[in-house]
Amino acid sequence: MNTDDINLAYKIRHALNEQLDTLPASTTDRLAAARAAALARKKADAPIEYFKPAPSGWREMLAGVGNFVSGPAMSRLAIAVPVLALVIGMGGVYQHEQQQQIAELADIDAAVLSDELPLNAYLDPGFSAYLESQQRRQ
Amino acid sequence: MATDKELNDFLENVERRAFKQAVYAVRKDESALDIVQDAMIKLAEKYGDKPAAELPMLFQRILQTTILDYFRREKVRNTWVSLFSGFSRREGDDDDDFDILNSYEAEEGSAAAESSADQIEREQTLRLIEEEVQKLPTRQREAFLMRYWQDMDVAETAEAMGCSEGSVKTHCSRATHALAAALKAKGITL
Repeated sequence: MNTDDINLAYKIRHALNEQLDTLPASTTDRLAAARAAALARKKADAPIEYFKPAPSGWREMLAGVGNFVSGPAMSRLAIAVPVLALVIGMGGVYQHEQQQQIAELADIDAAVLSDELPLNAYLDPGFSAYLESQQRRQ
Repeated sequence: MATDKELNDFLENVERRAFKQAVYAVRKDESALDIVQDAMIKLAEKYGDKPAAELPMLFQRILQTTILDYFRREKVRNTWVSLFSGFSRREGDDDDDFDILNSYEAEEGSAAAESSADQIEREQTLRLIEEEVQKLPTRQREAFLMRYWQDMDVAETAEAMGCSEGSVKTHCSRATHALAAALKAKGITL
C-alpha cells in the first residue's frame, strides 16, 4: 500500500473513532456490564510449575516436593510404577520357576548317576521284566 | 500473565470498537452486544492467565469465531423456522436489512434537508463511511479493521484471521481501494 492508501486508512480510522463517541448510553452500559461479568469469570492464575530450579532452603525444597507429589507428573508416575513393579515381579516369578525346574532335573540326574545300579541296567529288557515281577510279588 | 486491571483496561479500551465490528458483521445491535459479551467472557475464562500482550490477538480471534457461530446458529434456526412455517426467515432477515438501510437513508435525507450545518454534514459523512465499511466483503473488513482500527500488526492479524501475512496485506489493500473508490463516488473527501 502506498502512502496515500495508508493516509486514507488512518482518516477512515479517525472517522470510525468519532462514531464511537455517539454510542447510546444503554449500549455503553451494557458493554460495561458485559466487561464486569467477564472479569468476574476470569481464569485463575496459572498453576505453579512442577519442575523448578534447585530450591535454596528446606522450606522451598519441601514445597517443591509437595508440588511434585500433587502434580500431574505424579499421577502419571502413580500408574507407571505399579505397572513396572508388576512386570518385574512376573519376570522374577518366571525366573524362579525355571530355576526350580532345573534344580529338580539336576536332583534326578544326580540320583540316577549316583545309584549303585548301572545306568545300562534300565536299558536291559530282562531287568525290566524282573522289576515288574518283583512289584507283582509285593 | 494479565492482571485483573490489565484485562479490565484492555476490555474497556476495545469494547466499543468490538461492538461496532460485530454490528458491521451482523447488522443488529442486540445481537452484536450478545456477541461482544460472549467474546469477553470466553477471553476471561479461557485466556485470563495469558500475557497482556497476547490479549488483542486472542480477543479478535474469539470475536470472529463468535460472529461465525452466530451466523451458523442463525442458519440452523432459519432452516427450522422455514420448515415449520410458511415464511422463510431468510426473507425476513433481508427485509430487516433493507429496513435498516432505508432508515439510514431516510435519516440522511432528512438531516440534509433540515440543515446544512457543518455538524450535521460531518455526521452524515461519518455515517456514510461506516456504511461503506459495512459493505466491504467480510474478510477485507476484518483485516482492515484489525490492522487500522485495532492497531494490530500484520502478524497478529494473520494469526487472528487464520491466514497468511500476504493475504492480510492483500485484504487490506483491496479494502482501502474499495473504500477510496466508494467514497469518491459519493463525493466524500477526507
